[in-house]
Amino acid sequence: MSDRITLTLRAALARTIGVECISADRFADLSEQEIGALRLWDGHASVALGDVFAIRGDHSSSVTIEGDLAHLDGVGTAMRGGEIAIAGSVGSSVGAQMSGGVIRIAGSAGDDAGTAMAGGVLTISGNAGDRAGGALPSASKGMIGGEIIVRGGVGRDAGSRMRRGTLYCASAGENAGTAMIAGNIIVAGNLGDGAGLGNKRGSILALGGVRVPSTYAYACTYRPPHVSLMLLSLRARHELPVNDEHVHGLYQRYSGDLADIGKGEILEWRSK
Amino acid sequence: MDIRGVQIDDTFAEAFGMRGARIIITAKNQKWAREAANKMTGFATSVIACKCEAAIERELAPDQTPDGRPGISVLLFTMDSDSLPKRVIERIGQTVLTCATTACFDGLPDAVERIAIGKPLRTFGDGFQGSKVINGVRYWRLPVMEGEFLIQESFGKARGVGGGNFLILAESADAALDAAEAAVDAMAGMPGVILPFPGGIVRSGSKVGSKRYKTMIASTNDAFAPTLRAITKTSLPDGVNSVLEIVLDGLDFRSIAMAMQIGIDAACRPGVHSITAGNYGGRLGPFHFYLRKIMSGDVEDAPKEGAPA
Repeated sequence: MSDRITLTLRAALARTIGVECISADRFADLSEQEIGALRLWDGHASVALGDVFAIRGDHSSSVTIEGDLAHLDGVGTAMRGGEIAIAGSVGSSVGAQMSGGVIRIAGSAGDDAGTAMAGGVLTISGNAGDRAGGALPSASKGMIGGEIIVRGGVGRDAGSRMRRGTLYCASAGENAGTAMIAGNIIVAGNLGDGAGLGNKRGSILALGGVRVPSTYAYACTYRPPHVSLMLLSLRARHELPVNDEHVHGLYQRYSGDLADIGKGEILEWRSK
Repeated sequence: MDIRGVQIDDTFAEAFGMRGARIIITAKNQKWAREAANKMTGFATSVIACKCEAAIERELAPDQTPDGRPGISVLLFTMDSDSLPKRVIERIGQTVLTCATTACFDGLPDAVERIAIGKPLRTFGDGFQGSKVINGVRYWRLPVMEGEFLIQESFGKARGVGGGNFLILAESADAALDAAEAAVDAMAGMPGVILPFPGGIVRSGSKVGSKRYKTMIASTNDAFAPTLRAITKTSLPDGVNSVLEIVLDGLDFRSIAMAMQIGIDAACRPGVHSITAGNYGGRLGPFHFYLRKIMSGDVEDAPKEGAPA
């Protein structure tokens, strides 16, 4: 039994490989040989994990992945526990449907990071692509729990149809929180147009300003007590650059989407 | 045993098991946190008539509270498990929810047993309330005229100890009060302990039942009432003209014993004859605080055999 399992890419990948089998909780029960025999998807063909990665360690729920990983899709899919550290950037669908554990990405992530996530923590030091925390195709709900922390920006449709959980990012593209059912999206900087369209009960916290959709209505300017709690909690646990003026600041509350049930909100920071 | 000329009687304080909750009240500033806490802990001196015992435990700096604002920690105790949520809900609902700028949090996050507090109170929001799950804990946001009231959904329930006590027997009422005030000041802010009576001091200690009125569940402690020295079986030594009692409730035996140690030491001052404690011969309460043992530095003890689990 090892403290940690390290997977090192044997050679740079020319095309995308599906590595949905790389999950920290699954590795906890496997020997090095058994890990090496897991199957990856290279297009329509399956290949052994051991043919793609050099493996060190066994029987551990702490996993490090090294190499140029931008063509790896689906790392940590449906993960239920343990920890994965990704030394660089990674492909799409990292942490999709995960329900527990922690995935830390030192670089950026592709599209669909944390899709339909149900629990655990996904932290991305760089940027994330489109639909972070969103829903699987044709699914009614996006993420239903857990936290996605993106220190850089996220693409469009972040948090689309999310039901629970929290997505934090430095900036977000268009249509963040589209058709949100509930949950929290916190955007520290620029927030693209179309935020919160179709929102039912979700909260979008815009610390860097927002163009509020016309289907939202201004309610009041106040200090939302849960915002202090949420930002302090995120700062303490993820060492995020959250300012005190945001923690205890005044916010304009807009209720919406009034084209839906209208119990959601956009909270736009105004002043300390 | 004597401390600076004050005799410590060879006796013990007898205390009971209770159920308790710690309520953290935060507000815009300490003034408003204290306003809410004072109202919440009003008329909560004794379970005999108040249904609960409650008091301020200590002030909390902004970096000690969940929302980064000044706060007050309150401890509230009841005699049984079922009534704890009722008392907490009615008091928060009438005194914290109503108080400007406050929010309300659980102060026993590690307690396994939980009581629903914010959950029933949420209905004040009349359907306009909303909830947020932050770091795995659910909070309720109640829209109010001022803005929003935030309260945690569930609070921890702890097994506490009620009725720790010591009596200050003094030559005069002034000397008794000076000593009692010194004791209260010394014990102020000790974690896990409250002094539920006015100013932390009881002047009307009681005995169980009544000699004359059958319906009374408690009546004056005539053995320690100086005006009755000549006509009742007194427990007062010569030269004692006034007695004040300090009653302590706490989250565990050790917290109370440590507070008693500090409080008794502070009460040993000129004009005080002796320190004693109230008990029922060990027949009623499973927690026994032996004064001399505590003042010798031994604050560890355990309930006697047969104590309720």
